[in-house]
Amino acid sequence: MENLSLGLMLMAVGMITVFVILLIVINLSKLLIAIVNKVAPEEVVVKKAATAPAAPTVIDPATMAAIKGAVNIVTSGKGKVIKVEKI
Amino acid sequence: MEDIFVKLYEMTAFSNIIADPSFLAMYAIAFVLLYLGIKKHYEPLLLVPIAFGVLLANFPGGEMGVIQADSNGMVEVNGVMKNIWEMSLPEIAHDLGIMNFLYYMLIKTGFLPPVIFMGVGALTDFGPMLRNLRLSIFGAAAQMGIFTVLLVAILMGFTPQEAASLGIIGGADGPTAIFTTIKLAPHLLGPIAIAAYSYMALVPVIIPLVVKLLCTKKELMINMKEQEKLYPSKTEIKNLRVLKIVFPIAVTTVVAIFVPTAVSLVGMLMFGNLIKEIGSDTSRLFDAASNSIMNAATIFLGLCVGATMTSEAFLNWTTIGIVIGGFLAFALSISSGIFMVKIFNLFSKKKINPLIGATGLSAVPMASRVANDIATKYDPKNHVLNYCMSSNISGVIGSAVAAGVLISFLQ
Repeated sequence: MENLSLGLMLMAVGMITVFVILLIVINLSKLLIAIVNKVAPEEVVVKKAATAPAAPTVIDPATMAAIKGAVNIVTSGKGKVIKVEKI
Repeated sequence: MEDIFVKLYEMTAFSNIIADPSFLAMYAIAFVLLYLGIKKHYEPLLLVPIAFGVLLANFPGGEMGVIQADSNGMVEVNGVMKNIWEMSLPEIAHDLGIMNFLYYMLIKTGFLPPVIFMGVGALTDFGPMLRNLRLSIFGAAAQMGIFTVLLVAILMGFTPQEAASLGIIGGADGPTAIFTTIKLAPHLLGPIAIAAYSYMALVPVIIPLVVKLLCTKKELMINMKEQEKLYPSKTEIKNLRVLKIVFPIAVTTVVAIFVPTAVSLVGMLMFGNLIKEIGSDTSRLFDAASNSIMNAATIFLGLCVGATMTSEAFLNWTTIGIVIGGFLAFALSISSGIFMVKIFNLFSKKKINPLIGATGLSAVPMASRVANDIATKYDPKNHVLNYCMSSNISGVIGSAVAAGVLISFLQ
């Protein structure tokens, strides 16, 4: 009976603590977002001057073999690499 | 001549195995775990070392099984009772074997789980959580399974410390379960670690099962992107990179103040994440934390946990209770998350897919992937992965905090 009341107390304290901590983390994150937005707003990405149109991407054979090998392992031999593009 | 054969027979493990056939059951368990890890790919990084540890521990005469000290730290060494904490490490290695040396140095001190948490942190992206902060609260609801099973286990006759170690399986976080068990009920470490990692490996089976029982098709078809368009979020993040660097520092500070006992887990998780987010300046530390250190820690953790599963420590009714209780804790954690979403949906215009509640337990990222698969089965355009990751990641923090509470009250 004593252990049961200890268990009930742990349940109440544990769940309240978990909720409170996550609520604090959520609100703290909101505060951080507001501060970061104010103090360190978006990083300006400087675009490079227009250059000649990029040549079609050539993937070197070693990289291609590594990609094919990885796809083969992940898909247990069912997957097939059709096209590899640089984004 | 006969004497030589008798001595040869006694020298091999055959005599002990025939005298105590329970060793054979342990070999069978080790082989099943090895099969699941190698052939079925169920958490192979941990199940394979654990299974091999089980095998090593159960060869009589091999001295590879972990000898658990009693609550006063006493162990029997060559017929003499000694206090393990008064023995030097070389003495432990000499008298009890290399596996006890590793166990008492790396596991019993609570060293390895936080080290693994550092690696987990280095591999975790808090971006989805920061983008969907509102959904993070479901990571708290999913901890309900831990405390419900704690109560059930106490009713079944477990001590509060054992019940807490059993309940923490519901957090679906291997290192947290191991850390809590080391602190509260080290004699149950083997079966609890096995149950925790086995159920984590079975997430693709358990989540769909619970979801099918508790959710309707209409609920599972709630499209989070459409809801987002209908009711857009007011919070806009202008510089995610800086936010991701500040976040781990702030969370560690807050958790350290409120639940100091959870700092070893949450603090190391956040440190691992911080060295990842800083970028090239700490890339070498990130590489070490997420690769070499994490891999070495995983090997020793797995082998030592496996080595705690000697036949006398594992083959009893307590283990069966842990296996059943662990499943219950897991299923209840998933259910609690789902129910909290359902309650939330009753009062909110912006509906949430209950799968986001189901992923509040911390099996990251497998739980989110499984939930995404379920959602796309009902609507191929309904990708909920990013939203699920929010509650999934906050579940890691939630279960570490729950562990901290249990340790501070019961240790």
